[in-house]
This record gives sequence, structure tokens and C-alpha cells, in this order.
Amino acid sequence: MAHSAKPGAVHNHPRNRLVGLMAQFDDPESLVAACEQARRAGYVKLDAHSPFPIHGIDPAIGIRRTRLPFLVLALALGACVFGLWLQYYTNAVDNTAIFPGYRFFISGKPNWSLPANIPVTFEIIVLTSAFTAFLGMWALNRLPRLANPLHRISRFRRATNDRFFLVIEQADEKFDLNRTQQQLEEWGATAIEQIIEDLADRELPRNLKLAGIVLALLLLVPPALIYRAMGTTSRYPRLHVVPDMDVQHKYKAQAIGPNLGDDKNPSYMYGDRRAARPPIPGTVARGQLELDTEYFRGYRESHPTGLFLPRGHAELVLASGTRPMPVLDSDWQDPGHDAPGTAQDASPADGTVVPAEKDWVQEFPSQITVDEALLKRGQQRFEIYCTACHGFDGNGNGLVNQRALALNAQLKAKWTAAKSLHDPTVKVQPIGRIFDTITNGRNTMGPYGRQIPVADRWAIVAYVRALQLTGIQPVVDAPATGPSATDGQPSAVE
Amino acid sequence: MATTLDTHWDNTHEDPGKRAPLVLGGLDYAGVTDSVAGIWESRQPRTWWIVFVLAVIWLLILGGCIFHLFMKGVGVWGNCNPVFWAFDIVNFVFWVGIGHAGTLISAILFLFRQNWRTSINRAAEAMTIFAVICAGMFPGVHIGRIWVFYWLFPIPTEHLAMWPNFRSPLLWDVFAVGTYFTVSLLFWYMGMVPDLATLRDRAKTRVKKIVYGILSLGWTGSVRSWHRYEAAYTILAALSTPLVLSVHTIVSFDFAVSQLPGWHTTIFPPYFVAGAIFSGFAMVVTLLVPARTLYGLQNIITIRHLENMNKIIMATGLMVGMAYAIEFFIAWYGGVQAESFAFQNRAFGNYWWSYWIMVTCNVVIPQLFWIKWCRTTPWFMVIVSLFVNVGMWFERFVITVTSLSRDFVPSSWGFYWPTEVDIMMLIGSFGLFFTMFLLFCRFLPLIAISEVKNVLPRSEQH
Repeated sequence: MAHSAKPGAVHNHPRNRLVGLMAQFDDPESLVAACEQARRAGYVKLDAHSPFPIHGIDPAIGIRRTRLPFLVLALALGACVFGLWLQYYTNAVDNTAIFPGYRFFISGKPNWSLPANIPVTFEIIVLTSAFTAFLGMWALNRLPRLANPLHRISRFRRATNDRFFLVIEQADEKFDLNRTQQQLEEWGATAIEQIIEDLADRELPRNLKLAGIVLALLLLVPPALIYRAMGTTSRYPRLHVVPDMDVQHKYKAQAIGPNLGDDKNPSYMYGDRRAARPPIPGTVARGQLELDTEYFRGYRESHPTGLFLPRGHAELVLASGTRPMPVLDSDWQDPGHDAPGTAQDASPADGTVVPAEKDWVQEFPSQITVDEALLKRGQQRFEIYCTACHGFDGNGNGLVNQRALALNAQLKAKWTAAKSLHDPTVKVQPIGRIFDTITNGRNTMGPYGRQIPVADRWAIVAYVRALQLTGIQPVVDAPATGPSATDGQPSAVE
Repeated sequence: MATTLDTHWDNTHEDPGKRAPLVLGGLDYAGVTDSVAGIWESRQPRTWWIVFVLAVIWLLILGGCIFHLFMKGVGVWGNCNPVFWAFDIVNFVFWVGIGHAGTLISAILFLFRQNWRTSINRAAEAMTIFAVICAGMFPGVHIGRIWVFYWLFPIPTEHLAMWPNFRSPLLWDVFAVGTYFTVSLLFWYMGMVPDLATLRDRAKTRVKKIVYGILSLGWTGSVRSWHRYEAAYTILAALSTPLVLSVHTIVSFDFAVSQLPGWHTTIFPPYFVAGAIFSGFAMVVTLLVPARTLYGLQNIITIRHLENMNKIIMATGLMVGMAYAIEFFIAWYGGVQAESFAFQNRAFGNYWWSYWIMVTCNVVIPQLFWIKWCRTTPWFMVIVSLFVNVGMWFERFVITVTSLSRDFVPSSWGFYWPTEVDIMMLIGSFGLFFTMFLLFCRFLPLIAISEVKNVLPRSEQH
């Protein structure tokens, strides 16, 4: 019989509270015996502490079987259903909520085949069950609990080493400090101590509390930033942490650079930094000879050769005795050279400056037959390509034009108003000139030659003429010139 | 408590009337605690420091290799058409296999009530965790674009804009190894909490008190806690048992589900699991024999424990040897030309030496354990276990590389040879493993203190 507690010595302090009595035993057998005695004496709120699980103590102290296995079973069944659903939903359903599933036909296997889905289902069940057993055990044990009055007692440190302890709580109805102590001594305790709880232990350390508040506030920052970013626009591209393969150090056929090698010692395929050679002067792509300038460009060629040739090359080609080829695009010129001059003093590269004194064709080329089908086609193409600016009736009130003019008024744009097709200056234009406008653009109007095939451009020209002849235009800016509104059908264009 | 080495008691002797003790030297509860916590309290022996410095150097080399790999791409390895899987998958399977012994000891032997497991299960479980980390690293760095590794998981990512294919063994592998690692970690940590509480209660410095106080979660050894703890422990053991079998089964599916000759066999799952346990026990012996000498744990990790492990090594080694034989039999009996060629090529082709290293190390050398002296002499069993480790590494090399380098069409044959980066990463993975294991020996309880107390003679009488 070692220490005896001194009743009423410590727990008088207002900050302290008596939790119970702790009795020490030297071997597991006497602990089990003491537990049985305590139960027999009517104590209910008691616990024992030992360095290892003691078999046979559970009935002695009155522990019922834990419900943990049923908890694990319930979650395992849930995990089974979830695992199967996850795989079914992501691999066998046509339209999943977020992304397309993996509905690919592989080796003739069905999209949903249970044998192939067993492994993942099994792993999900095991993972869920393991977490349930682990977390459930701690939760049922009300751990982690870092402040425990037992840890204030230095003797109790041997509970994880080689001593066995019985704790009877003060909250027990049968608890009486002196009597309980006496009983414990009778049951063979080798030492008895009071468990005194310092109520200050229950409170978090002040610094910890402060740190917790600061951390919680900091954690609010990212969601707040995300919330702010929602629905706002930005002039900058999205943050792209990993550029994947957006920028690759490799040669590209149609671009200058990027160079390989390091910054100080770049390596280019050719001296002009290109990775491909431009075509030999005079090269014409197959099917793009386009010698018939009336059809392809809308004017009669006054020059016998009809060529745009870069300075210096015309002589070369002519001298070689071969038939010179028209060069339609001067893109191939080496960068760094002067802008290429041409024999016709035209620079078709930008497609906007076209000599005014061309010999525009006045009539449709022979390849074009003007009939209702052509006009229908022209109308359809016109409504696709032209109405955005020129409007459905051709008087220049398209939505883009309206918006751009509004921006002009606010000095936010420099926009040349789309011409009304009923404008007298347009009406007198030869059809070749209109064809050229569609092909190469005018002012702010961009070139459409690369988007609209030649035949369709002529169809649009025909439709434009029909519009002009029918003269559909708003009353306000309708000059009395031109044919009257009732003047004939669109088919009578010529 | 004095831990005098009891050399007179031979606890490898089986007497049907009396159980041989599992702990020698007359250790009592406090003696066990002192033996184990003493490692943690005292300065580490010089050998520890020498091995630790070496391990950290190789860990740094591994880090350098991985950095080089990320900067340059997987071309720094020797992998090339047609051998796209080589050292990375060989090392992966090797390390995962090693991990299996830990789970076998902690879970399966627990369910079979093999009390001798208590002395070795903590270290073996730690070995599992570290081996799985080493294993997971290799496929992790092999995926090329490491920064989008999360495409492996069924997470809706905007970038991929697609769900993974759940019918692919490679995805099963992600789930299996990920689950295995997580569950092993939970199991290991949960088993360690009572011992962490022991260390907490012995801690002298404030930092140790705080750190071990938090790690031990306020454990008081309450019998109510022990009750639920044991229930949870049994559940985790029951979950880990099929899990550990499933993991190497699924790893073997990576090979067996393909149609390559030499891979496409149904024997792979049991064959891989047996091999995994074989190699894992060899690694446990390799680690624990030096550790018990270094830390004077001969009374807790006794010759009986080592002998039991050597018996398992011999049994699983025979299983592996039988699998090798069956493979050849099926190749002949199946009558498929490509299959029979694949196996002839294994034994007599370009990589004949790797096949015979494998057979010698895995089948021939472990037969020495039929002799009792061989399986009860610590220094000798370490040599055998090292051979087994080498042999099991070569087994994975043989399976992976010989089959890939010689498939159906001779025009697509090739020859694989590792680069320096391959070899340095293999050695570097040992650096990673030993760094973690040595830190574990230094900072965590090497032996399951509370479980060993449970099998002390006093408790057995109870």
C-alpha cells in the first residue's frame, strides 16, 4: 500500500475539479479482479487503463460489443453500390453530366461488363471500409483528445508501460471520496491518486486560438477570389500553368521560327529563318492558272501577258523562252526585301489597292448563265456573307454596320460606312468592278475572294444587280433615280 | 531492465507439451518497453550513420535522375521500341512485391493467430509502406507528362474532358496500389498509436512531448478504447488479407490481360502473389537481422522468428519454382508456337543469363534452408535472402523484357539495354527506401511494444 490520496487538498482551488480516483495495480489479473469488485459494488462510471489489451476484462468492467463492424458493413455496401455506379456512369452511359464517358468499342468488349468492373469495385469497398474502421474507431473512442487530466498525473505514465489502472469517476452515483478510496485499497490497489482536472486545460491555448482564427480567415480568401472571378471578364488569357504542347521547339513549314537550340545559339533550317523553301518563281498551283481574267477577275487584260511578276523575275522568265506563268500571290518573297513591285504596279498582296482604270467587264462572262437558279444561289450567298453589313435589302443597314457606326460616334472605331448598293455611284459601276470589290474588298470591307468561290461571287453580283434594279430601299433615303420599284423581275437583270 | 542475451535457451525446438517462448532473456513488460524505447532514446550507433549517409547520397542521386528525366523526357531511359516497359515496370513490380510480406505478417498471420508475428510486424509494415512508395514512384515518373498525373483518377478535369477507362488493367492498378498504400498506412499508423503513447510518456524534451502527444492522439490505454481498437484492428486485418492478394493479382493482370507470348497466362496471379511474399520475406530478413544486432534486440526478434520466416521463404520459393516449371509445361502442352518460342527464348535466347540468374537465386539457393543450421544462422540467412532479392528482381526483368523484345513478328524484335539513368534510378530507389527505413528506426517504435507484451509468457498463462 503506497500513496494515499489526501482528500480535499487540491480540488478546493476554484479552477480545479475532482474527476475521480485512480488506483494502480501491478498486474493484469488484479486489475480484472478489481474491476469485478467495483462492478459488484455498484459502480458504473469506471474505466481501466492498461499497456496492452487484457482479455477477459470486457465483461468484468461491463463493456458491450462495439457496433463498429456493422458501421463498416453498412459503408462497405454503400461503397459497392457507388463503385458499380461510378463505372457504369462513366463508361456505359451516353450523355454523362460533365464529360463524355469512355464509350469506345475496344476489342469487341461490351461497355458494361461486370467481370472487368470487379477489381475497381473491390478496391473502392476496401478503401471505404478501411477508412470507416479507422475513423469510426477513433470517433467512438472520442479521440483524439489531447488534454486529459490523467496526463497530469506522473504515475499514469506507466499506463503505457507496465502498470494497470482503475479509474472511478466522481460522477458515479456511488462515488464517495473516502469510501471509494477505502474500497480501492481493499481491492489491492498499490497506489491511489485523485484525478484533478485543471479547468484551464479545457480551453485552447490562446496563441492556438488566434492562429486558428487567422487560418480560417485565410482559408476564406481563395473561395472569395474565385467568387469574385465568377462572371467577370478579363482582357488576358486564362492562367495556363502547364503549357502542355502549346509551344514546341520544332520547325513548322509555313511559319518563321521558332528556332531550335538555345537563345544564344539559335539554329534555323535556312538563313531566312524559314523551315520550307518558297516555290520557284512562276510556280502555279495545279488548277489555279486562271488565265481567263474576265471570269476570274472581272476585267479584260490590257497587257498581253497578264502577269504580275516580281521585279527582276519577268525578264528571267521571258528570257528562258518558256511561257510565263501568272503569279497571283507574292507571299513567297523573302522577308527583309523591299515590298515587291509588279509589272502592273499593283500590289495584290493586300488585295485592297486595285487600279481604277481597269477595263471592267460589263456583261457576265460566258461561263455564267443568268437564270433564276443563279439568282437564288446569289441571294442565299448574299444573305450569308453580305447582309451583316449591307443589310438584306442592300441599303447598308446591316447590324455590324449599325454597331460600328455607333462606335464611330463614340470615337471607339474607325469605320467607313458600308455603301448602300442603291447608291448612284454603285449603281453605275460595271459588274466587273462589283466582282472585284467582293474579291478584294474596299476600304474597311475585307476581301472575300478566298471564302467565296468564283461562280458564287458572280451569283452574288447577279443578285446585287437584281437588288439595284428592283430598287428596294427605305423611303427616307430613296432618291428618285434608277428604275422604279415595279420595274421587272430579277431575271431581267441584263 | 537488463536485456541479457539468453543464449542457452533454444526456442527453435518444438516440444508439443510446452510452448517455446517468443521473448527471451526474461524480459518483463518494462523490459520490453525499455528495449524498444531505448533505441529511440539513445544516440544512434555509428553503423546507422554510415548507412544513413550512403542512403541519402543515393536518394539525392535519385532526385537528380528524376529531375533529368522530367527535363529531358523518358528518352533518357533505355526504353525503346519494342521494349517500352523495362526498368520502370520491373522496379515497380519488384518493390510492390516486397511490400507484400509486411501485410502478410501484419494481417494474414494475425488472422491465423500466429503470435510470433508481433516481434516483426511493425518493421515489416514500415517496410511495406516504404516499398510501396518506391514502387509508386516508377510508374509515376514513367507517365511522361507527370504534371497531369491526376488524369489517372476519375476526377472530372477540364483538360482531359473525359473519364478514365475502367476496363483497363492499368487503371485497376492505380486503384489497387493506391488502396493498398492507403490501407497499409492506416493499419500501420493505427497499430503504432499505443506505442507512440509509450514514447510520449517517456519523452523528455518539449518538442518530443508535443509531437508524440499529437501523434498518439491522446491515447490512454483505456480498456474501452482497447476493445474498439481490437475490433478495428481485426477488421483492417480482414480487409488487408484479400487486398494484398488482389494487389499483386492486379499487377499481374497488367501482363496477363495482354496477348503477348509469355505474358498471356492464367498462372500469373498466384505466381505473382507467391513471388511477392517470397521476395518480401527475403527483404524482411535482410532488414531485421542487421537491425536486431545493431539495436540488441536478439531477445525480442529471436532465432525462432527468423527461422519461421526462412521456412516461409523456402515454401514460397518452391511455389515460385513450380510456377516456372508449369510455365514451360504449358508452353509445350498448349502447342502454341509463339508461346513455346517465348519460353525457349527466355532460357536460351538473348537474355539467357537473366533467366539462369533468376532460377539459381530463387529456386536453387533457398533449398539450403532445408538444413537447420542454414535457417538458424543469422549471417548466413542474410546472404541467402540477398540472393533471393536479386533473383526476384531478375524474375520481373525476365518476364518483362524477354517477352517484349521477342514478340510474334521477327521484324519487330529488338534488344533492350538499360542506360546509366536506369541503373542509377534502381540503386537510387534503394537509397529512398533505406533513408525512410532508417528514419523510421530512429523516430518510431521499431517493434510493436504493446503487442509483444501481449505474448509474454505471463499473458499466455492468463
